[in-house]
Amino acid sequence: MSSAIIETNGLTRSYGDICALKPLDLLVPEGEWLSVMGHSGSGKSTLMNLVGGLDRPTSGTLRVGGEELLALNEDGLARFRREFVGIIFQQHHLVPYLTAVENVMMAQYFHSVPDEAEARHALERVGLGHRLKNRPGELSGGEQQRVCIARAIINSPKLLLGDEPTGNLDNKSTVMVMELLKELRAEERFTVIMVTHNQEVAAWGDRTIHLDDGVLVREDRLKVEGKAG
Amino acid sequence: MLFRILKNSFLKRPKAVFLVFLSIAMGAAVATAFLGIAGEVSHKMALELRSYGANILLEPSAAQGGGFLREEDLPKIKTVFWKYNITGFTPYLFGIAEFSAGGRKERGVVSGTWFAKQLEVPGEDISTQGIKGIAPWWEVKGRWPEDADEAIVGAALAKRLNVVPGSDVKSAVRGRIQQFRIVGVVTTGGYEEEQLFAPLVTVQSLLQRQGKVSRVLVSALTVPMDDFGKKDPATMTRDEYEKWYCTAYVTSVAKNVEEVMGGSRAKPIWQIASAEGALLKKLNSVMLLLTVLALGASATAVSTSLMASMAERSPEIALMKAVGADRYQIGTIFIGETLFISLAGGVIGFLIGDQLSELISRTVFNSTIASPLWLFPTAIISAFIVAIAGSVAPLRRALLIEPVRVLKG
Ligand SMILES: Nc1ncnc2c1ncn2[C@@H]1O[C@H](COP(=O)(O)OP(=O)(O)O)[C@@H](O)[C@H]1O
Ligand SMILES: [Mg+2]
Repeated sequence: MSSAIIETNGLTRSYGDICALKPLDLLVPEGEWLSVMGHSGSGKSTLMNLVGGLDRPTSGTLRVGGEELLALNEDGLARFRREFVGIIFQQHHLVPYLTAVENVMMAQYFHSVPDEAEARHALERVGLGHRLKNRPGELSGGEQQRVCIARAIINSPKLLLGDEPTGNLDNKSTVMVMELLKELRAEERFTVIMVTHNQEVAAWGDRTIHLDDGVLVREDRLKVEGKAG
Repeated sequence: MLFRILKNSFLKRPKAVFLVFLSIAMGAAVATAFLGIAGEVSHKMALELRSYGANILLEPSAAQGGGFLREEDLPKIKTVFWKYNITGFTPYLFGIAEFSAGGRKERGVVSGTWFAKQLEVPGEDISTQGIKGIAPWWEVKGRWPEDADEAIVGAALAKRLNVVPGSDVKSAVRGRIQQFRIVGVVTTGGYEEEQLFAPLVTVQSLLQRQGKVSRVLVSALTVPMDDFGKKDPATMTRDEYEKWYCTAYVTSVAKNVEEVMGGSRAKPIWQIASAEGALLKKLNSVMLLLTVLALGASATAVSTSLMASMAERSPEIALMKAVGADRYQIGTIFIGETLFISLAGGVIGFLIGDQLSELISRTVFNSTIASPLWLFPTAIISAFIVAIAGSVAPLRRALLIEPVRVLKG
């Protein structure tokens, strides 16, 4: 077994005539923080959705955490998502009628059993101990994104995916979120893949890959250290 | 957690939830009302149908050599096992008589019977027995006989004798003469129109047959014949016979009556019995069909309102899937929601339906009914059925939502 948490071979995803992701070979070592950059429409979200088990490839192989995702049925993918992956989206995507703590508990509920104390603790870790009973509408963008982070890490995922999680945030909130993620990663040792438009945000990672029109065109190794593991 | 999700989801969309609740409550109400009165309707219809004639004929058995039955046995009919199913009976004693009135002479049948006799049987309630009760369709111009020498005459015979209410008719049988005062002319649409009807005792003495009757017509409430009821009792095992005897088939009631009338043979009058059974069966099918249609309609309404709220809910469902909910978990939330609403809808529907059936029963049948105990669970179950049936299509839609589509920026 390689120490790669993600391994793709000729991974493709097309929507009819549109080839959103051209055959891609990608290896992500366990514990790496990978940044994904590229213009709008270059296939970044497509890649994230495939890796996160939200979508299925058109062709190629896709091993994540030792599982061949192509072999999983719909419920198998759901299980993979809840046990293995934490996802943070650009739009916050919280359930509007549930409070912050309930939104976190929902992820616990689908995973195993909801545990309010644990959910509260997760929100305290992201600095929202005082906003537990607020609904998403009553929270700022940065606060909502931190609820999403708490929800993403609540089931101790091996893989944390962020699809432009700071895209809608101002500088201050962005730095706060990135620092939080760095901190959490140091404790939890999950692998991070983060899509961003922002060079500075990308610089938080160990490595950056650049996609253009569905093709991996460039790869920068930004830091040498950073392998958790 | 499921409860919290449901509670908040309800509070978030009170209108949609109320619509679903309303559809379910209406379905349950209609089902409750229909099923609640179905039994009552059958019973009432049976009573009404019963008024179209007797369904058991008692005659002297062949062993008796075509003789007579004893009048003194008649009260025993009110004491048999199936006495509460027997709604009435009438004895007849027939004889051929020479009628003469106003110079005209005609041969015809003189028939002694009970018109509306107060029957006192020790240990039983006083009842009124006779033609008036079991043949309410007889149309009497004039009035019914009250005194021993009063009679009514069939319309055809009245025409031949040229008599009207108020006329006198002389009847001669083997030299004995009885004078009758005609108080009514009867139209029945049957062979009775050729006869003269007079009180049983008077005819018995005219015919010199004191205490005797030629036949008895019995009117009984019976259940429709089924295959088991058609079996020959003689070939039944002991248990089967017991079951047969304790089911109100026209044959078992006939057998029951036959046992108390010495030397009698009881025959079901099949035409009426089977027509009645078939009619009641049809009636029950119609009620059931209406119930099913009503439930179908409310299931459709449930389905429509759930579908309508789908557009609003799909981001949230996609999100749940993205976070890892599988089809069963989504299904649990969905079904949980509708079951929850349907429980409330079932209870309210039952309360409304119960009132409704009482109202129907009061206005249509002029009687109150006690709703049977099984009605409540039936209401709840129909609400569940409506909810589940109404959830199928929306749930399928929900399960088809792809997490990735809705979450795309
Ligand atoms: N569901 C879809 N149906 C059709 N085309 C799609 C769909 N999703 C993405 N695409 C197309 O695939 C390409 C890549 O999209 P995406 O991965 O979302 O880009 P990015 O996230 O890099 O902006 C784009 O051309 C986009 O229009
Ligand atoms: Mg994107």
